[in-house]
Amino acid sequence: MDNTQGLIVSSAPHLKSDMTTSKAMKDVILALVPVTLVAVYFFQTYALFLVTACLVTAAVTEVLFRKLMNKKATLHDYSALLTGLLVALCFSATTEWWKGALATFIAIGVAKELMGGLGWNRFNPALFGRISLILLAPWFVPLNSGLSAWSVNLGTVDTITQGTPLAMLQQGMAMPGFFQLFAWYPGGAMAEASALAVLLGGLYLIYKQHIRWIIPLSILGTVFVLTLVAGQNPFYQLVSGGLMLGAFFMATDWVTCPINDRGKIIFGVAIGVLIVFFRLGLAATEGVGFAILIMNAFVPAIERVTRRASFSAPRAVSIPLPDKGTPVSK
Amino acid sequence: MEVRTFLGGAHIPHYKSFTEDKPITRLSVPKVVIVPLSQHLGAPNEPLVKVGDKVEVGQKIGDSQEHIAAPVHASVSGTVVAIEPRPWYEGGETMSIVIEADESMNQDFVPKVEQNPADLSKEEIIAAIREAGIVGMGGAAFPTHANISQKKAVDSLLLNGAECEPFLTCDHRQMVERPDDLIAGAEMMMRCIGAKTCYIGIEVNKPDAIEILSEKVKDREDIKIVPLAVKYPQGNKAHLINAITGRNVPRGARSADLGCIVRNVGTTIAGYEAVVYGRPCYERVVTVTGPTVPKPGNYIVRIGTPVSHVVREAGVENLEEMKVVVGGPMTGMAQANLEAPVVKSNTGVLILPREMVREDVEYFDCVRCAKCVEQCPVFLYPNEISIACENDMISKAESWDVMDCIECGICAYICPSGRPIVKFIKRVKPEIKKLQRSRR
Ligand code: SF4
Ligand code: SF4
Repeated sequence: MDNTQGLIVSSAPHLKSDMTTSKAMKDVILALVPVTLVAVYFFQTYALFLVTACLVTAAVTEVLFRKLMNKKATLHDYSALLTGLLVALCFSATTEWWKGALATFIAIGVAKELMGGLGWNRFNPALFGRISLILLAPWFVPLNSGLSAWSVNLGTVDTITQGTPLAMLQQGMAMPGFFQLFAWYPGGAMAEASALAVLLGGLYLIYKQHIRWIIPLSILGTVFVLTLVAGQNPFYQLVSGGLMLGAFFMATDWVTCPINDRGKIIFGVAIGVLIVFFRLGLAATEGVGFAILIMNAFVPAIERVTRRASFSAPRAVSIPLPDKGTPVSK
Repeated sequence: MEVRTFLGGAHIPHYKSFTEDKPITRLSVPKVVIVPLSQHLGAPNEPLVKVGDKVEVGQKIGDSQEHIAAPVHASVSGTVVAIEPRPWYEGGETMSIVIEADESMNQDFVPKVEQNPADLSKEEIIAAIREAGIVGMGGAAFPTHANISQKKAVDSLLLNGAECEPFLTCDHRQMVERPDDLIAGAEMMMRCIGAKTCYIGIEVNKPDAIEILSEKVKDREDIKIVPLAVKYPQGNKAHLINAITGRNVPRGARSADLGCIVRNVGTTIAGYEAVVYGRPCYERVVTVTGPTVPKPGNYIVRIGTPVSHVVREAGVENLEEMKVVVGGPMTGMAQANLEAPVVKSNTGVLILPREMVREDVEYFDCVRCAKCVEQCPVFLYPNEISIACENDMISKAESWDVMDCIECGICAYICPSGRPIVKFIKRVKPEIKKLQRSRR
């Protein structure tokens, strides 16, 4: 009893919640499992190969950059693997593996680690990597022929010849039924294979309180209303073109979205407006990615205008009538 | 039932089941007590005894000439063996009077008077409370007589029975076991401050206390029981005022400026006993608990009892891999050794195993998860504050209103990156205070 050697001493508070960044990241990866499985079902070895290539690149890049920058390894927080998986899901399954790997390298090396590591990046790393590849595409023609020697023959899968639903939508082609498109329709990026699976993952994240419902709802709501006004079928718009993945997994990224609720609403609505603008005005199929990245850049400005006052800030009316608390239930 | 609360705040598991049904019992009297000379906020006390003096339970042994001070009393009958600096639960040492209990002497307090507060004038009541050394027993330690001798008009007395910190149940048990004394104490205080109404705020996780007290006041207009949502930090003064009256509490304002005075329920009962029996504050109810404690309970502990005695009496043998906290788990102090004594403002002694406690070991960069921002009860941005404080960017921290922080601990509790935000804040606050003073 007199031996107090083993006592733990540290500052208050003495309790901790059971949430850690790595647990949250693991949960997000878990939430992506359904759509990944759907993609693997449709695209088989193509999907598996691309996902693996991105995951491996993610891990290697993270370790390499941390080492070069003389920082502690942070692979255990799973954020690198999550980024790798997200990058893979943004590509169509037949993309050459080195494109996925390059996008992942840019995502983790440039967009995350060079910016200071997790928490300091301004842009969503996965989207940054994906969109970089689109912008770099003109340079790929020589690269492609040079690297074709290393491309891997994975056999053929007949589903991959189908057109992208969003492109079909924009060209006014005959569309599959809504529910088929919603639940089970390969075409475009792997994450577009099933909006339903993405939605399930997103709802799981909301249930686990890793993300708030505000951003997804304001994005989807804005897209729905605007496309309706523009005379489009809003339901088709909601389930096509990576909108679900963007709304639930990309725009809600902790690091790159506004921190308080008012900011989240502004952010979500603005993304929705940009998406509709890109889709209807420019016929771009990567509108979601561009819209989110553009708004990422505005987050500091949004934070500035939405800063709330402290509880102890003097308010105009400091003594309201007595008996006016805040009832939360009757 | 209308349940009130404030905006923000956190739902933290309350772990109250270990002791919430345990009736208040007495802890054995220790062989030696260490009574810190000054246990209040305000002017320091001078000793009234010297080494070798015989003292009796309840005898005044330290006092000050100043108004804002509360005397201290012997908590055992025996001999003063030392007056010297001794460990203090917040760290460091403080001048203390060490008394060795004499087993041949009576160790129980004998009431000297028995009077009805209704027969006493306001001034007599306030004098009796001062003489008894009553201070805020919920943790604030501000002398109660100074609090209730306000000149400002005050319309409401708010009794704080929220007891929002996890584990603690001492106020809960006192409300359940001594509702009549509580109500009588409330009446007495209302008279002193001239309040028309008394609101007793109780979190709804104490339904028995709400029921018993509601039954007692069902026919009266002047005392109201206000059920409060179970949310931390519901018992913080500003948040309690906000929840019950809807008034905002701007920085710098004292609660009397807002027309209300807040008292803890335990303090109210102690104040009542001080007036009726002349019983000084030489003991208090302390919740001794933890998931592995063999005999958890709500114990009446003599002021000055070493924490080691309390821990031993609760049956705890092995302290390896344990954290011993004096106070609540969110704001209390971890003890490096157990020599410090229990003082008037200590609500609990918690013995917590390593699995459940936070430690200042490894932490990571802020990932902007927004959880601290969502839950900060003062609507601050603990994420920005923590980055500014971590890098000693004093004026940046100030511009994020770090001085408004009530150090409730929610942000550090919730942070998935394990950032010791409150520790950062506590380090920076004194420097900003210095800066602000030099600006004036
Ligand atoms: S400790 Fe301060 S900053 Fe942190 S949640 Fe509480 S009031 Fe807010
Ligand atoms: S809880 Fe921690 S990680 Fe999350 S925003 Fe606050 S400081 Fe950053």
